[in-house]
This record gives sequence, C-alpha cells and structure tokens, in this order.
Amino acid sequence: MPTRTGTCIVVGASSGIGLAVARRLALEGRKVAMLARRENELRAQVTLVNDAIGQTRAHAYVHDAADANAAEPLFAKIEQELGQVDELHFVAGVMPDVRPDEYDLAKDALQMQVNAVGCIAWVNAAARRFLPRKSGCIVGVTSVAQDRGRTGKPGYHASKAAMDTFLEAMRNRLWKHGVQVTTIRPGFVDTPMTAGLQLKGAISADKAAALILKARDRKKTIAYVPWKWRLIMFVIRNIPSFVFRRMTI
Amino acid sequence: MTTSTQVPWREQFVRGWGMAVGGPARVFTPTTAEQIADAFAEVQSKKGHIALRGSGCSYGDAALLRDGHVLDLSRMNKILAFDPTTGVARVEPGVTVRDLWRHSIRFGFWPKVVSGTAAVSMGGAAAMNIHGKNNFAVGSFGECVRAFTLLTPGGQLLRCTREQNADVFFAAISGFGMLGCFTELEIETKRVHSGRLRVWGIPARDLAHNLQILEDLKAEADYLVSWIDMHGKGVALGRGLMHRAEQFGPGEDPDGLRWCEPSLQDVPPRLFGVVPKGWLWPGMWTAVKLGQVPTINWAKYQAGFREAKKSPYLQSHGAFHFLLDYVPRWQWMTKPGGLIQFQPFVPKAHGERVLSTLIERCQQAGMVPYLGVLKRHRPDPFLMTHAVDGYSMAMDFCVSKNAARRQALWRLCQQLADIVLEAGGRFYYAKDAVLQASSFARIHGEPTVRTFAALKQRLDPERLLQTDLSVRMGV
Repeated sequence: MPTRTGTCIVVGASSGIGLAVARRLALEGRKVAMLARRENELRAQVTLVNDAIGQTRAHAYVHDAADANAAEPLFAKIEQELGQVDELHFVAGVMPDVRPDEYDLAKDALQMQVNAVGCIAWVNAAARRFLPRKSGCIVGVTSVAQDRGRTGKPGYHASKAAMDTFLEAMRNRLWKHGVQVTTIRPGFVDTPMTAGLQLKGAISADKAAALILKARDRKKTIAYVPWKWRLIMFVIRNIPSFVFRRMTI
Repeated sequence: MTTSTQVPWREQFVRGWGMAVGGPARVFTPTTAEQIADAFAEVQSKKGHIALRGSGCSYGDAALLRDGHVLDLSRMNKILAFDPTTGVARVEPGVTVRDLWRHSIRFGFWPKVVSGTAAVSMGGAAAMNIHGKNNFAVGSFGECVRAFTLLTPGGQLLRCTREQNADVFFAAISGFGMLGCFTELEIETKRVHSGRLRVWGIPARDLAHNLQILEDLKAEADYLVSWIDMHGKGVALGRGLMHRAEQFGPGEDPDGLRWCEPSLQDVPPRLFGVVPKGWLWPGMWTAVKLGQVPTINWAKYQAGFREAKKSPYLQSHGAFHFLLDYVPRWQWMTKPGGLIQFQPFVPKAHGERVLSTLIERCQQAGMVPYLGVLKRHRPDPFLMTHAVDGYSMAMDFCVSKNAARRQALWRLCQQLADIVLEAGGRFYYAKDAVLQASSFARIHGEPTVRTFAALKQRLDPERLLQTDLSVRMGV
C-alpha cells in the first residue's frame, strides 16, 4: 500500500487512463485534484466519484495542458486549497487523426505542446516542491509509441519520446533526493482516445490504472503496461532501420 | 415530388431475428435524413412500399417486407450529443443500446430501459416501445424518450414531444414504424452510483410461487425477471428461477466506481477465459436435436438452489441485462427452421389461470417451448402499447422445416392467442409472427384502432410504410 497520504494531482482526468487513475486514487482514500480541459465532463466525473464513494475526495480544476504557463500557479493554488501535494500523475495527451500524406504543423505543434511541454511544466512545478521536501512521487504516462518513430503519427511519437526522455532526466536528478519518478509506457488500452482504432487485445483503462499504481508502489523506473509490451517493444526497437522503414507497422 | 438521384437499392434476403420468416427485398442503407426522404419519394413514385428496419432484432416479420423495399437504418448510428450532467442523449435512430451505454456508463449513466440484447437500435426500440426487466417500475422505452424528429412519408419533418404534436408522439412510439421514420431521438438515461448491481437468484417451485414472488418484490426491487422451465409438469408446472437486481445508492458500493467503464460492462467473450463463446452454438444445437432440452432445464433449475445460497452477488449492469448476448448467434441452435417467440401479456387477475393453461396446452400438443421468461408489467400511455397491469410470458419455440409441423405450431399459437385475448390480454409486435388480422381490434379496442388508422391516413395516405406484420394484421 502507498505510504503517501497527501493530495494527488491527476492531469488529464476527465476520461481514459487519467480518469481511471483518479478513481483508484480516490478509492485509496486520497484527496485528488482532477484536472482536465472539458469543464462539463470533468465536473460530471468529479460528482460521480464523490457520489459513488459517498465522501468528497475528488476536486475539479479546469485546466488546458497546452497552457504550460498555468501549471505553476495552479499547482500553488491546489496546495493552498487541498493541502500539500505528494503525488503527480501526468496523463493528459492528444492524438489527432493524421492522414498518411498530411504534414500539418498545427496538429504536430499541438501534440508537442500538450503531451511534451505540458508534462515538462507540471513535472517542473512538482520537482521544485518535492526536492526540498525530499519526498514525493511523479508518474508520467508516455506510450510504447515513444520507442520507435513509425509512419502513422510522427508528431505523436516525437512528443511522447520528448516526454519520456525528460522524465528520465528528471528521474536521474531527483531519485537520489528521495523523489520517485516513474515512467509508464502503455500498450493498447481501450479509451476514448483510441476508440476509432479497433485495437486488438486492448486492456481496460481500469486495468491500466491498476498496473500503473502497482508500478508506483514497487518504485519502478519504467513500466510497460501491460508487461508483455516490454518484450514486443524490445523486438521492435531492435529491428534495423533498413528493415523497419520497409515495414508497415 | 421528384427524385434528384437514383437510390442504390440492392437485392438481399431479409430475415426476422428468429430466422423463421423472411424473404427477398430491395434494401438501401441510408446515412442521412435526406437519403431517407429520397428513398421515400422514389418508392412512392413507383407506388411501392417500404419497411423500416433498425438492427433487425424483431423475432418475427416486424422489420421486413417480402418483395418490397427495406430501409436499413443501422448506419445512421451517431450519438449526436450527450449531456454528462443530465444524462440526456441525442441520437440517430441506428444507435444501438450498446452504443448508448458504452458512452453513458463512463459518466455514471445507464439507459433507463434496455432489452435482453444490446444490439437493438434506438429507432426500433421506440417504434416497438420495447420493455426491460424493470417494466413494472419504470414503464416502457417510450417513457424515457423526451423528443424525436419524425420524417413522414410525405417528406415532412415533425418534431414531437409530449406537448408538441403529442398525438404523433404517443402513436409513433409503439406504432411499429407505420407513421414515419425517426431521424433523431432524445433519450433520457438514469444515474447509477456503481457499475454493478446486487443480484439475487430465487428458485420458484411453480407458477403460483413465481407470480407470488413478483407481487411481493415489485414494490422494492429495481429489476425482476424469471426464467421458467416449460417442461415442468404437475406440481412443478411453471417452476423456474427468479432473478432480482437492485442498484446501489451513493456510497454503498464505492468499488463499483471502477466498473463505470465500458470494457468492464461487456459480457465476457470467452467461457472460462478460454473457449470463444461464438463456438458454443453447435453444442446447443446438438442438445436441441437430441431432445435434451428438458434435461438441461432440470439442471438449470437445480443450479438455481446453489445460486440462491451465494445470493446476493455482484454483477455488472451489462452482464445482468444482456443474457441474449452471452452466447453469440445462439439462435442458430434452432437451425434450420429457426425460432419464433410468442409473448402474451395477461392482466393480473387472470394471470395464473391463463399462463398455466398456456403451458399445459403446449405440453399436451407436444410442442414445448425450450425457453420461457416471465415478467411483471404496468400500463403506459402509448397508443398501440402491449403493456397491461399484469404479466407476460415469453415462449420460444423451435420451428420445424417440415411444413405440416410448422403449420401445427402456428395453429397452436393461434389457439393460445385466443385464450389470451378472451382474458383481455395483449401482444407485442417485436416478438410476434402468428397473429391474424382479426386479433388487431381485439387487442387494442375499436376506438384505438380508429385513432391509429386516422393518423396513418393523415401522415401516410399512400400507405408507403408497410411491413409483413402490418399486412398480416390488416393495418
């Protein structure tokens, strides 16, 4: 069981994996600040969590992860309103549809802004506070997509790789000071973001959340969710480029 | 009216869900209301007829027209809007029950009325005014429809609510697709505080016991449905297994929050996590052909006592409601003849007498339904409704390929229908395949039939909308 008892922040908590993580944190008895862009949906989810549990544990904060400058003041506001934060989950992410012949800067820039810059902003805000306290836990949800650049969604792969590398660097900075930084690389998960993709063998978002919190408790550095993706991605990472660029995966 | 484009009809064999009735038809699958209007106009100019079809889950001939035209609305399946605070969804007619709950359960909402299979379309559900296992408590599907837009055969778009065009509202819901085509519906869903239900299995010794349980529990239970072993004789006549389910209130099942996720509501696709359930029907087919249905029913009844011991247990909403989806293609076990379902609705006062007579008649005739399902109902305000203050018993019969045996089954059902009608009972057109035109007025009463005919004359004077069912019933 987690040793932490402070407030948790979940960025990207109105749907998918972020929502499932927030629900499980609330069920653990933690105070949870749920952050998301769509106010209606976020408030509905917060109400559902509190009603189901029968106690006010979840709190809604409307926030667009693309607005990186807002992270620092919002972090301060949450600590002021809900008490000291000792756990951050960055799960926000966007993955727009990209046609094979499409080179759209707006879409790629948005992915970099939300997935990568958003993550950097929140992790910085957390690190600044966790480091002097010599405690705290940062969980960043990247993707198996970060392991290789594939043809389908270049911007998505690049943004997740940026996020993943940033988290690794922060881990190397912070771990020796007692701050945990765990990177989660999910494979196929059934969420609204992947609804159109018909992913075979996808796990539920709740299952993914369970595995994420297990990785947190075991103080993992990098966790593939579920575990089999470590093997799959090991193979894929080791395909030489002259073969990989001819493949359709 | 003239048509601007040629409608791409394709020749196709269209069957009822029970596979026992059907025939060739020219089918078109529209994706917009304009395409429906084009199809209406084209067929009207040829003086033809059209049947409306959603997911094709009606057991009999309610969604087909032999040698006519059929509009397959299954591709108009977009959820246009969903309000996560109120749970009201605006949907196209081809959206299925499954599409709706997969969307709404994320926000802690579940459709108020669902059928035994999640494949049913919203348009079909409204047209047939379907009911669920909570009919005695919340009424029929129509009662959770807030508004709809109806495209009439004349090409007019009518917005209908309980206040606006109220006569059409109450008649198109339950009007089995005779007045127009739904192009958009507003459906209310209900708040659930957990993704799970508390379920009790209660063995019932005989029919009287079954009915007694329904009466005792109907004030407090959220859902009640009983499986009946139609082979039970003598003192065991009408024995079965009642299932009662209740929702959780706020804070009663915190862990159930995790089940407010679509992939945890789906009926599990594999048996014991290994055998794909799509492979089970040949086994069931063999059991039917070898005459082992009574043995299986006996075993199921006995298993009910074990289930009662571990009650109440927890089950996801999906797993409790969608029994018909547990075994994909289970209706194939009745191949090659297919199946028909006969579902009489009997007023409470005559319930026990009429239902026991029906079971006895089937047993005497040697044509015993392999499945019986008993439910409690209450009346609703829709014009052509099937609901009464009483009981319904759905009876599933295997149909033989042999013409004489098939006719004997139809005759038996018609005799059973007479018994039901004498007691003031009604029938449900989504399930029916056997009633005759003479029954129509007896079911609904002369004044109702006249009102319906007047509406039909007003909205569809050329009688464009027609199905094999409506022809059979002389509508």
